[in-house]
Amino acid sequence: MNALLGAAIAFALVGLNAWLYTANKKTPVPEGCEELKPDCSACGIRDCALRSALTERKEENNGDN
Amino acid sequence: MNLFTLFLSAMLINNIILSKFLGMCPFMGVSTRTSNAFGMGIAVIFVIFGASLLSYALYYLVLVPLELEYMELITFILLIAAFVQLTDMIIKKHSPTLYKQLGIYLPLITTNCAVLYVAMDNITQKYNLIETIVNSIAVPAGFMLMLVIFATIRERLQGNDVPKAFAGNPIAFIIAAIMAIAFTSLSGLV
Repeated sequence: MNALLGAAIAFALVGLNAWLYTANKKTPVPEGCEELKPDCSACGIRDCALRSALTERKEENNGDN
Repeated sequence: MNLFTLFLSAMLINNIILSKFLGMCPFMGVSTRTSNAFGMGIAVIFVIFGASLLSYALYYLVLVPLELEYMELITFILLIAAFVQLTDMIIKKHSPTLYKQLGIYLPLITTNCAVLYVAMDNITQKYNLIETIVNSIAVPAGFMLMLVIFATIRERLQGNDVPKAFAGNPIAFIIAAIMAIAFTSLSGLV
């Protein structure tokens, strides 16, 4: 019974995460904040959501040069 | 444990970066400018405090009565991720000024192991609610202090003539090591 409750809690939290993630994605970014980019080039976490933005910016800069 | 001793110990002596080596990603990644370090520090204080209190409540109000203590790791990870998403969404919706300051750092905090460490530490050390609150403020305050000090040093280094082999991250690691040695001497305080 407890194992079932544990699984239910885990699923509820996963569902909460999924819902919050989609709701957060749908929330419009405030005016003037569309181009905010972090300065975190020294960080090594490759699956971070911000890393793609940083890579794109680097590629843009290389293209300009 | 005396609350002041707990605060001092969590903030300076057992500093999460210099003695536990946690949260190294933002420590190295977001310390190139003092303004960035300050923004990140504020965001970390807010998230660690909120996430720790929520984890504490989840553990003692749900997991312990149901004898599901073994699920603390998985539930805390999910809770922290959900809390960061929620905070990001609320700030985006209601405070554009705050979003400009903290918004870009919030997703980074989800992957910050320091948040999980504080939530787990409050449970393993068997802190009561007051001690949990003190620990959850002191640890990120220590994180912010180190981040800002480190960023200030790195900013000053940018104008210096660092040997090519040490430029960038190598010299940053050397500075971090010297800082760790310096802060070890504070262990005599408590």
